[in-house]
Amino acid sequence: MNIQAPIKHTAAEEVLFQSCEAANAAVACSEESQKLREAAVAQLRDNGFPTRRVESWHYTDLRAAVKQLSTPTGSRVSTPLLAGSKVLSADTHIAGVKIEPWSADKAQFAPLESDDAVGQINTALATCGSIATIEAGQTIDTPLSIENRGAHARNVVSIGAGASATIIESVSGDDGFSSDVTLISLAEGAKATYVATCEKGADAIQLGQLRVALGKDANLDIVIFNAGGRLIRREIIVLVEGEGSNLDIKGVNLIGGNSHIDVTTVLQHTVPNTVSEQLFRNISTGKGQGVFQGQIKVHQIAQKTDAQMACNTLLLSNDASFSAKPELEIFADDVICAHGATVAELDEDHLFYLCARGITERTARALLVEAFVDEAVEQIENEALVEALETRIGAWLEANG
Amino acid sequence: MPAVQETIDQVAQIDVDQYKYGFETILEMDMAPIGLSEDVIRFISAKKEEPEWMLEWRLDAYRRWLTMDEPDWARVSYPKIDFSEIYFYAAPKGQSGPKTLDDVDPEIRATYEKLGIPLAEQELLAGVQERRVAVDAVFDSVSVVTTFKKELSKAGVIFMSISEAIREHPELVKKYLASVVPVSDNYYSALNCAVFTDGSFVYVPEGVRCPMELSTYFRINAENTGQFERTLIVAEKGAYVSYLEGCTAPQRDENQLHAAVVELVAMDDAEIKYSTVQNWYPGDSTGKGGIYNFVTKRGDCRGDRSKISWTQVETGSAITWKYPSCILRGDDSQGEFYSIAVSNGAQQVDSGTKMIHLGKRTKSRIISKGISAGRSQNTYRGRVSAHRKATDARNFTQCDSLLIGDQCGAHTVPYIEANNATAQFEHEATTSKISDDQLFYCMQRGIPEEEAIALIVNGFVKEVIQELPMEFAVEAQKLIGISLEGSVG
Repeated sequence: MNIQAPIKHTAAEEVLFQSCEAANAAVACSEESQKLREAAVAQLRDNGFPTRRVESWHYTDLRAAVKQLSTPTGSRVSTPLLAGSKVLSADTHIAGVKIEPWSADKAQFAPLESDDAVGQINTALATCGSIATIEAGQTIDTPLSIENRGAHARNVVSIGAGASATIIESVSGDDGFSSDVTLISLAEGAKATYVATCEKGADAIQLGQLRVALGKDANLDIVIFNAGGRLIRREIIVLVEGEGSNLDIKGVNLIGGNSHIDVTTVLQHTVPNTVSEQLFRNISTGKGQGVFQGQIKVHQIAQKTDAQMACNTLLLSNDASFSAKPELEIFADDVICAHGATVAELDEDHLFYLCARGITERTARALLVEAFVDEAVEQIENEALVEALETRIGAWLEANG
Repeated sequence: MPAVQETIDQVAQIDVDQYKYGFETILEMDMAPIGLSEDVIRFISAKKEEPEWMLEWRLDAYRRWLTMDEPDWARVSYPKIDFSEIYFYAAPKGQSGPKTLDDVDPEIRATYEKLGIPLAEQELLAGVQERRVAVDAVFDSVSVVTTFKKELSKAGVIFMSISEAIREHPELVKKYLASVVPVSDNYYSALNCAVFTDGSFVYVPEGVRCPMELSTYFRINAENTGQFERTLIVAEKGAYVSYLEGCTAPQRDENQLHAAVVELVAMDDAEIKYSTVQNWYPGDSTGKGGIYNFVTKRGDCRGDRSKISWTQVETGSAITWKYPSCILRGDDSQGEFYSIAVSNGAQQVDSGTKMIHLGKRTKSRIISKGISAGRSQNTYRGRVSAHRKATDARNFTQCDSLLIGDQCGAHTVPYIEANNATAQFEHEATTSKISDDQLFYCMQRGIPEEEAIALIVNGFVKEVIQELPMEFAVEAQKLIGISLEGSVG
C-alpha cells in the first residue's frame, strides 16, 4: 500500500527533459561534470517539479506554476543598477580581477539534495555564466556586474583573502523560464557586497539561487530586491564556516498583480563566534502572494552565535496574501537567536496622523509604504546603492500603489 | 518565594533518573488478544457493550487507517511501531466499567492514593481549601470511577466515561464525536477511532457554569499495552467548564504507545479551559523505555464569542507529538495556547499549536516556553492562518526556548499564513541560555547557584504557570524542578 507510483510527468516537465538533453549536447565537459549533470536530470525525472508536498517548497507549487516551459524571448540583462559598473565577462579587463571564459568544468557542479530543484534545474541546463576571482588583498572600487545572458546561467565568484568588492547581479525580462545560480566564496578577511535584483514581467518564471561560503573573519552584505514576475523564487544558502565572520542580508520584495515571490534562506552556522542578521520588508498587493522561509541552523560547536532574523510584511489589498515560515534549529546552548515575523495592514493611527496634517490619504499611504520599505534599504552602507534601489522602489510603488 | 525553595528541595531529594510514579500495580488483567485486527475491535466493542453503530464506526475507521501512512514530518525519531506486538485492550479483572468507590479494587485505590489522586469525594487535594475537583480515573483501558457525578448532574452537567456516554447518551455522542477531529484526520486519530478504550465525556448545558473543576487521571499500568484515550467536551451556549488532565505510567524498558484524541466544542459565548500536566514515564537517562505520546487535540470555537484555552505542561514521555489547536469558526471567538515543554535525558518533544482563523475579529494568543536539557530535542511547531474571510484576525505568538547544556537542541518551526489584508500577526521567537548576567545578579545577592537557576527558570515559565488552575500550578512547578534535575547546577 505504500509503494509510490512513478510520477506522471507534466507537459512542461517533458519539455524540461528535452532541454536538458539539448543543453548537454551544446556544452562539452569532463566525465565528472557530465555525471553530475546526469545525476541532476535523474533527480528531476524522479521527482518532477516540486509541489507543496516538499517541505522546502511548502508555499510554492512550482509544478502547478510552470504550465509551459518556454525560453525567454527578450534579453534578461537589465539596465545597470549603479553607474560606472563593469561587467564580469571574459573580454573585460579589471585590475585585480581574474576573469575566465565559462565552461561547465569551472561551474562547480556538485551532488545535490533531492529537494534542491533550483540547483538541479540549473545544473542540468546551465550553458553560460561568469567565472571570476578577486585576487587576494585587492580592493575593487568599481562595482562589478554579472550579466546573465542565457536562460540558465551559473556564476562562480571567489573573493581572495583580504580582498573587497561589490558584485551586482540584475535580471529582468518579460517572459520565459530561467534559472541562475551564483556561487560566492569569501576567503579569510574578505569583504563583499552582493546585490541581486530581479524585476520581471508578468509571464516570467525566475529561479535564483545564491550559495555562499564565508571564511574566517569574512564580511558579506547581501541585498535582495525582487519585483513582479509570474513566479520568482530566490534562495540564499549560506555556510557560515569561518570564525568571526559576519553576514548581513537585507531584502525587499514588492509583490503585486498576480505575482508569486518566494524568498527562502538557509543559514548554517558551523563554527563559534559568528553573526548573522536578516531583515526583509515585503509589500503584497493586488493578488500578490508572498512567501518567506528562513532557516537558521546552529551546529553544536557553533557557540556564541548571534543570529537574528526579521520579516515584516504589509498587506495592502484584500486578495493579497503572505506566508512565512521562520525556522530556528539550534544545537548549541550559548547562543542568541531570535526571529520575528509580522504581517499587518497599514496602521490607521499613522494614516490619521498624516491626514490630520492636511496630507491627502493617497499621499499619506504612499509615504507610509515607502517608509516601511525604506527601513530595510537605508541601512545599506553604499549610498549610491541606496539611491538606486529607492528609485526602483519608488517607480514600482508609483505603478502599483 | 516558597515555590522556588520547593523546587530546590524536590531536586535535592530525588536521585538522578528517578521517576516518582514508576511503580507498577500487580493486578489480574483482562486483555484483548495481542495485535490489531477486526476481531480485536469487535472484542473491544463487545467489552464496552457498545451499540451496533459504534462498532460499525470503529471498523470503518480501522479500514481507513489501513490505507494510511505513518506521518514522518515531525522532528522525532523512533523505530517503527509494530502494532502486532501491542495489546489494544487491558482492564483489571472485574472492572469493566465505572462503579461506586466501594466496588473499586483496593489495589487500584491504593495506586491512585499513591499518585495523590482523590477518588473519595470528601477528600481535597493537598493544601487546597474549599475547592473540589471531580475526577474520572482511567486505568489502562477502562474508567474505574467517576466522582461527584450526582452533584454535577444536579447542575445538569454530564461527566462520565466515554464508554458510559455511548450507552447512555448516544444522541449526544453521535452528534459530536469526530466532528472536530475527523476520523481520517491523521494516522493516529484514525487508529484511535478504531480502538479507543476510554476517556471522559463532558456536556455542559446552556447557560451552566460547571460548579467544580473536572479532571481525568490517566494511568497506564499493564505491560505492552497501548492506551487510546478519547475525550469529548461540549459546552453549550454560555456554558463554562474547566477541565484538567493528568497522566503517569510505570517505569519499563519497552516503549508504550499513548494515542489520544481530544475534541472540544464551544458554542456561542461558551468557554472551555483545558489544562494538561503530562508526566508519562520519560524513559531512563539513556533513552530506554518511555511512553510515545502521539496525541491529536483540537478545539472548535463553533459559536460566536466562544473561547477555548489550552494550557499544557509537558514534562514526561519519551516522545511527544502533540498540537492542541483551535478552529476559530465563530465571529469574535478566541483561542489561547500556553505551553511549557521541558525535556531532559533523551526525550524528544515536537509540540505546538494551530490557530485557524475563520471567523471575523477572531483572536489568538500563543505563549510557548521550551526548556531543553540533557541530550533532548525540543521543537515548537505551530501554524497560524487567517482565512480570506477572517477580517480583523489577530494573533500574537511568542515562543522562547531555553537551553541548558550543550548537548541538547531547541527548534522553532512556525508557519504563518495571512490571506487577509486586515489580519494582524505578530510572531516572536528567541533561543538563549540562562545568561551569565542574570546568574551573576542573583548570586551576587547571596542566592546559591542552583537556587538562582531555579529562580530564573521559574521566571521564564511564569507566564504559562499563571494560566494553570491553582492545584496544577503547584504540581507543575514541582514537576519542572524534577524534570530538570541533573541538569541544573
